[in-house]
Amino acid sequence: MREFQSLKFIALFKGLFKKFGVDYEIMMLILRIKLTMDERRVPTVFNEMGKKKEGNQFLKSLWIYGLYSLLLLPFLFLGDNYIFGMSVQFGIILFILMTSMISDFSSVLLDVRDKNVLQTKPVDKKTITAAKTIHILIYMSFIAGAFVALPFIVGIFRHGIVFSLIFLVEIVLTMLLVVVFTSLLYLFVLRYFDGERLKDIINYVQIVLSLGLVIGYQVLIQAFDIANFNIEYVFSPWHFLIPPIWYGAPFEMILNGNTAWYMIAFTGLAVLMPILAILIYSRLMPSFERNLEKLLSDTKARKPSRSLLDGLWAKLLCRTKEERVFFRFSALMLKKEREFKLKVFPNVGLALVFPILFIFNELRIRSLADISEGNMYLFIYFCNILIPGTIFMLQFAGSYKGGWIFKAAPIARETAAYSAALKVFLSKLYLPIFLVLSIVYVGIFSARILPDLAAVLAGAILQSLITYRVMKDVEFPFTRSFEFSQDQGTARNLSLTLIIGAFVLVHFLARSFDYGIYVYLVLLVVAIFVVWRKTFPENAEVEDGKPASKTEAGM
Amino acid sequence: MHLSQDTILSIQDLTMSYGGKNVLNGINLEVSKGQIIGYIGPNGAGKSTTVKIMLGLIDDFEGKVVIFGQDISKGDASYKRRIGYVPENAEAYDNLSAMEYLIFTGELYGLSQKFAQEKAERLLQQFDLIDVRHSRLSSFSKGMKQKVLIISSLLHDPDLLFWDEPLSGLDANSMMVIQEILSQLAAEGKTIFYSSHIMDLVEKISNRIVLLVDGKVVADGSFEELQELSAEGSLSGIFNQLTGFTEHRKKAAQFVSVVRGDMDDA
Repeated sequence: MREFQSLKFIALFKGLFKKFGVDYEIMMLILRIKLTMDERRVPTVFNEMGKKKEGNQFLKSLWIYGLYSLLLLPFLFLGDNYIFGMSVQFGIILFILMTSMISDFSSVLLDVRDKNVLQTKPVDKKTITAAKTIHILIYMSFIAGAFVALPFIVGIFRHGIVFSLIFLVEIVLTMLLVVVFTSLLYLFVLRYFDGERLKDIINYVQIVLSLGLVIGYQVLIQAFDIANFNIEYVFSPWHFLIPPIWYGAPFEMILNGNTAWYMIAFTGLAVLMPILAILIYSRLMPSFERNLEKLLSDTKARKPSRSLLDGLWAKLLCRTKEERVFFRFSALMLKKEREFKLKVFPNVGLALVFPILFIFNELRIRSLADISEGNMYLFIYFCNILIPGTIFMLQFAGSYKGGWIFKAAPIARETAAYSAALKVFLSKLYLPIFLVLSIVYVGIFSARILPDLAAVLAGAILQSLITYRVMKDVEFPFTRSFEFSQDQGTARNLSLTLIIGAFVLVHFLARSFDYGIYVYLVLLVVAIFVVWRKTFPENAEVEDGKPASKTEAGM
Repeated sequence: MHLSQDTILSIQDLTMSYGGKNVLNGINLEVSKGQIIGYIGPNGAGKSTTVKIMLGLIDDFEGKVVIFGQDISKGDASYKRRIGYVPENAEAYDNLSAMEYLIFTGELYGLSQKFAQEKAERLLQQFDLIDVRHSRLSSFSKGMKQKVLIISSLLHDPDLLFWDEPLSGLDANSMMVIQEILSQLAAEGKTIFYSSHIMDLVEKISNRIVLLVDGKVVADGSFEELQELSAEGSLSGIFNQLTGFTEHRKKAAQFVSVVRGDMDDA
């Protein structure tokens, strides 16, 4: 086991931990073990002999946050209007930290394995809690570091050293706020529900949270009166409910000398809220650990639910009995596999909200009638951001160990497993969202966009196929441990997300010719047909059915 | 009840409910030094819950649990220093190698790294695991992992052992070794509290058997004392009788007939 730089840094706060009654030595011991484990990946069920990857994959994926941080730069050049620029910046920072906290670190917070290994030893709960929180904070600071490094440096040059100092302090405060706030939220949920139900509710909380973040961001923008680039801040009491404004205020107060009472109040909240949250958290933590036990038990018997719709889709979309079996299996996993939902559902929320949000945004500048004339409907492509992430996740499952059944069972056509999984994704996850958005969009833009919507859907199917071909790592879906999900995933996801841009571009070009959209549509359908055949080759002996076009079903 | 000077563990009126359902219904137990207690009962009887309560994994129980003279509900974890625990289902941090895991748990019990390492190596040697000591636990068979967990529970030379299904996954030879280790440890004055479903073994190695049904102790005594309660000769016979299960033959016949594909009820 090696020494970790991050732990050396933690060691600086030795006195502080001791003061809080934490067993410092033991905490460091636990942290060292945790970090060691993070560097390792258990080989998957089928690749025991395959090459093992060493090194912390998480750290290797950090550069993506650096790339995201380019988003922050424009706000540094808004002149000296700090309250606006910095509020938006901290809004984005809070958003990034919160989403990564929910999707990547919830499992650390809710890990019950710790209980059996650690709590049976003579280690008090406070120390375990401290270790858990610090463990998360270490990673959060890497993310935050990668994300704000560039804006920070640019900020020094643009606004000077005082600016940077405030920035630094605030980053630490926001990190604490995010970690502790999430923990408190889970604490609350854990208190009132138990067993399996609880895990479901945590899933929903995660979805609601991510939606809330997007909407919150919207509200933040609303707080400013943006007209003709003349941004003015007008105070109103409900702004106390928007954390990003708290974090914009100190800049305004210190650098612009704006000492209005509400600026001081915001600054006070920015500093006090994280501290208050930590105090509440350390009070309530023992009951958190106690309630974690509930995650292990299932007290209620459940009625089996059989979805007729699943059966219908399976009949409609799959031609062989084998593929139908895989379809129903994948549909069940999509519905029940919690870790999978945890990673995927926040994106589902975003895919649903973004396309509507953009229209909404536009509404403040133009009238609805004005919008309905133009090309704004292309914003529906934003829901395709769902595709890369979800298809990447299809290979993982919390219960990945059950995957041996695919090898043990007499399966005739192995590619059927993945083609079924893709069909499930498209029909059960993508299509419902797309339909909802389509209804809204047709409502705004009228039926004239129907051919365009068809092209978007066909594009989504083609994109799914391309994504699958690029990401194909394993033979069967749901057979890898989530420990691997940090591997190259993010980088590839991003490049695969950029494909959407290509689709939009071609679509746009097709629109500029008469009937171009129909030509495009036909081309897409042909492409889907060819690529699907190539990706999931049929065996010589097809069991039943005639070679009907797969694409028909998808339409 | 075996009340004596050297009571290691005492449980009084222990009840525990989960979502309105009582898992434990008033358990009373006094355990004195040097006893090997076989804690048996059908699935869901509350065995693991009892053990979890004693280890402080669950703390919303009612009743009193005193270990080494310390009331465990006070929240002081120091009594755990003298306890060794083997969890059911061989739960551990699988990404660690055997050595890393052992040193880690040893240090959690307050041993020095060097001491834990030397002792772990010597114990691994005894179980013929020395060559794989730097391999990860995830690559171990269930039996090998179980041995590592058994070593982990003994590194700090505890006075009280809680072993939950300690023999699962072990081969017949290893079982005999463990069985012998148990009796020699007990002879040295250690107290051993373990649960198992293998009745022959419980019959052989325990000097006291506690049978739990529906969260209640229904029998408590030596094997000979239990025999007097029942007409059955073997512990599994006694177990069946006391848990009210007598129709295993009929159940099996029905099961096999379903496997064969008979449509009518056998």
